[in-house]
Amino acid sequence: MASDQQPACVSCEPKGLCGGKGLLTLKEGAWANNPLSIQVLGICSALAVTNRLENSLVMGAALIFVCVGSNLLVSLLRKHTPHRIRMIAEVAIIATFVILFDQFLKAFYWDMSKQLGPYVGLIITNCIIMGRAEAFALQNPPILSIVDGVANGLGYAAILAIIGFFRELLGTGEVMGHPVPFTDWYTPNQLMILAPGAFFALGIVIGIFNAFKGPEPEEKK
Amino acid sequence: MKGNLYALAYAAVLGTVCALLLTAAAAVTAPYRQANAEAEEVLNILRVLQVPLQDDTSARQLGEVFKSNVREEQRGDVAVYVYSPSADQGAIALRFAGPGLWGPIKGFLALEPDMKTIRGVTFYEQEETPGLGGEIVSSAFREQFVGKSIVDQNGNPGIVISSAGETAPNKVDAISGATMTCDKVQAMLNSAIGDILKEKN
Repeated sequence: MASDQQPACVSCEPKGLCGGKGLLTLKEGAWANNPLSIQVLGICSALAVTNRLENSLVMGAALIFVCVGSNLLVSLLRKHTPHRIRMIAEVAIIATFVILFDQFLKAFYWDMSKQLGPYVGLIITNCIIMGRAEAFALQNPPILSIVDGVANGLGYAAILAIIGFFRELLGTGEVMGHPVPFTDWYTPNQLMILAPGAFFALGIVIGIFNAFKGPEPEEKK
Repeated sequence: MKGNLYALAYAAVLGTVCALLLTAAAAVTAPYRQANAEAEEVLNILRVLQVPLQDDTSARQLGEVFKSNVREEQRGDVAVYVYSPSADQGAIALRFAGPGLWGPIKGFLALEPDMKTIRGVTFYEQEETPGLGGEIVSSAFREQFVGKSIVDQNGNPGIVISSAGETAPNKVDAISGATMTCDKVQAMLNSAIGDILKEKN
């Protein structure tokens, strides 16, 4: 890897963020290669916690925190980690950040912690985090890895927020727990806050995203 | 060989650092988590006794409502919470606990002042399968208990959680797909019922 030979991000200063790679990484993670809508990773939590916008936002924040933290640490240790145990090391690092966030929620946002239930803990096995650590942080310098973590976290959080917003709006007629004015004519559709509604919403969002992005690169072959 | 040693040392150091971090975090947040757990318990006692509550009652107000409405009392070996200054003097709540399918289940059982009729059941700790055993916390399951008797037609103590069909004053419908959880809940309820009836006589 070319970037591996450079010491951590020395080239940052002259050409913008990480030698111009920063913006590309950001765009790649958050949009062009969005972990949820393009790669369709981590959909378990995306289906489970998106019945309210508030839950989706907290879950998105959790993912950004964990992804940035684990990417940074994995990247810092990338030259010292023995290749054979790198995955165990990654999981240990990821689990540490997840439990930190879980403890924080349990201590200061008890009600939110109850609502998210086991899904905060399950971030440990979220494919997005592990994928970014394996595919990106192991080969790239720390600052760029942070950017990648933010990008992927944001990409995930944004999709979660979109799904959460529409599921809550259509399912309960509320936004962030507040009733929307002038919608007396609308009968909330309970289906949207139940599991099938999550599948519909996620499917539609993925469909729209892919329509905007154009055909998959493989189809050009 | 050298590589193996290095990998071992690396794993040991990384593991220790992670463990230390988590221990520190757990120590810092312990008092807050403890307070949250206590508030949760208090809230469950108040709910199961049907003490009137506003939805947005803060944790500290909960404590005050609890102090002014509920008296803790020891009846033999059983600690009970008595709803005292109310028109229907003497409804009580008692704790039940036991192993569930995946982890401990804990909750409160409230009895009307006649000590025979169930006023309500709540669960404040459980790790049962979401959607199956986890449904014990749903109001649909819990509300079945309200008004049920803790003795059967012949006066034998116990509550029965089994499949639909039979009717008895002490029987509630089990959750299909959650037989193990229901059996375990039945066992822990019956153990609590046995204790309180023994103390009464």
